[in-house]
Amino acid sequence: MTNVDDIISGIDTLRPIPPVAAQIMALAEDENSSMSEIADLIVHDPSLTASILKICNAAYFGLSRRVDSVRDAIVLLGLDEIIELVLLNATAENFRDEPDGYGLGEGELWQHAVLSAYAAKILAESHGFTSQKHLVFTAALLKDIGKIIMGRFVAFSYEKINILVHSRGYSFNEAEKEVIGINHEELGARVGQKWRFGDQLIYMIRHHHMTDKTARDDPETALVYLADIICMMIGFGTGVDGLAYRFYSEVLDRMKLTEKDLQNVIFDTGQRRQKLDKLLYLV
Amino acid sequence: MLDTHISHQPISVMTAVNFGELKLSRNPAETLVAFSIGAGIGVTMYDPVIKVGGLLNFVLPDSSTMSSSQAQFHPFMFADTGLAAFSDALHNIGAKTDNLKVVIAGGAQIMDQTAAFNIGHKNHQAVTSYLGEKKLAVHYADIGGIFMRTLRLDIGNGDNLIQTLGQTEVKV
Repeated sequence: MTNVDDIISGIDTLRPIPPVAAQIMALAEDENSSMSEIADLIVHDPSLTASILKICNAAYFGLSRRVDSVRDAIVLLGLDEIIELVLLNATAENFRDEPDGYGLGEGELWQHAVLSAYAAKILAESHGFTSQKHLVFTAALLKDIGKIIMGRFVAFSYEKINILVHSRGYSFNEAEKEVIGINHEELGARVGQKWRFGDQLIYMIRHHHMTDKTARDDPETALVYLADIICMMIGFGTGVDGLAYRFYSEVLDRMKLTEKDLQNVIFDTGQRRQKLDKLLYLV
Repeated sequence: MLDTHISHQPISVMTAVNFGELKLSRNPAETLVAFSIGAGIGVTMYDPVIKVGGLLNFVLPDSSTMSSSQAQFHPFMFADTGLAAFSDALHNIGAKTDNLKVVIAGGAQIMDQTAAFNIGHKNHQAVTSYLGEKKLAVHYADIGGIFMRTLRLDIGNGDNLIQTLGQTEVKV
């Protein structure tokens, strides 16, 4: 077994998320905060402002006129869209590289992360009982951050993991834990602790595969879990772990999600997926 | 003087058939490919006599369950509307039903996925029932499991290559 402390020390090789993104997220969840407070935060960060304006002015958004200020961008695209762009922009750098071990090509982990985030948003809007839609978006985006560090340890132990998954009925994350001593969701939660994420975000990252039974009662974590599963079924940015994770129908039951609802969310996520390539190129 | 070989074949091309798409080809140098098929199913149909074929990459079993009116604009997302359009398109370019070589790959499922939510299984049922109605035999099926698959159809010779991530490629 690899020394778990060695793996955890790999967190230092990641590029931390800019503090401004974390501040914006905190404000977005606060019902008492105003649009101008969020705009102020972006405006006071010149590099973030420049990135947002560049993205907004791309043909992708089809705006009828040029956007010259963050306030303009918020008016034209809506605050939600701008917050999402800030979050994508803040996380892109870490996810773009090709992690070893999971059989993912360049950018595929990032594609999966972004599509999961949009799937979670679609679910939150149609079936979620949550006011914390940006938190759900962020958790879905960051849930696999542990894979970036885990990758080379998975590569080293792949034969053993593969045997457990394909001959002994382990899910991929159960096999990671058994063989390596830690799995990608626990490692992702460690990243969150190190980067001082909020407790709820850390919880959602740690439990996004719902191995812990109590997490299945948490409505926000349920959205992230389902978004992940939907992206696996669609087959976007999924590697050697494939669909080797567990399905808990009680999570869908609790959300009162019917088979028809699930198919509708898959369809909507699929629509989003078809537009995603152009957006990923921009952020 | 060295004997120089000059190929008269066009340069080979690989065309991706994305999720929710149908593509047909009669270019012998073209390979159609659907990457990372999950619970959806890649279906290839090929007429070896006139050397035309296509690949449908759908993800849901039944368009009539959709509440969104958008569904009618995306027929290739669904088994029912996608397969009907695929058959019509092949027929229109001269393929004969009796000649068709049909290969299906995909229909994967999450572990312990219960029947009602098992989209991969439902997709398989939808394809099987459509092909049965049309009396089309399946030449090869690689369905189910917890793996992602890539399906390729070589238009030049009608060969299909099925790659499951982490395993060797199967040629059928």
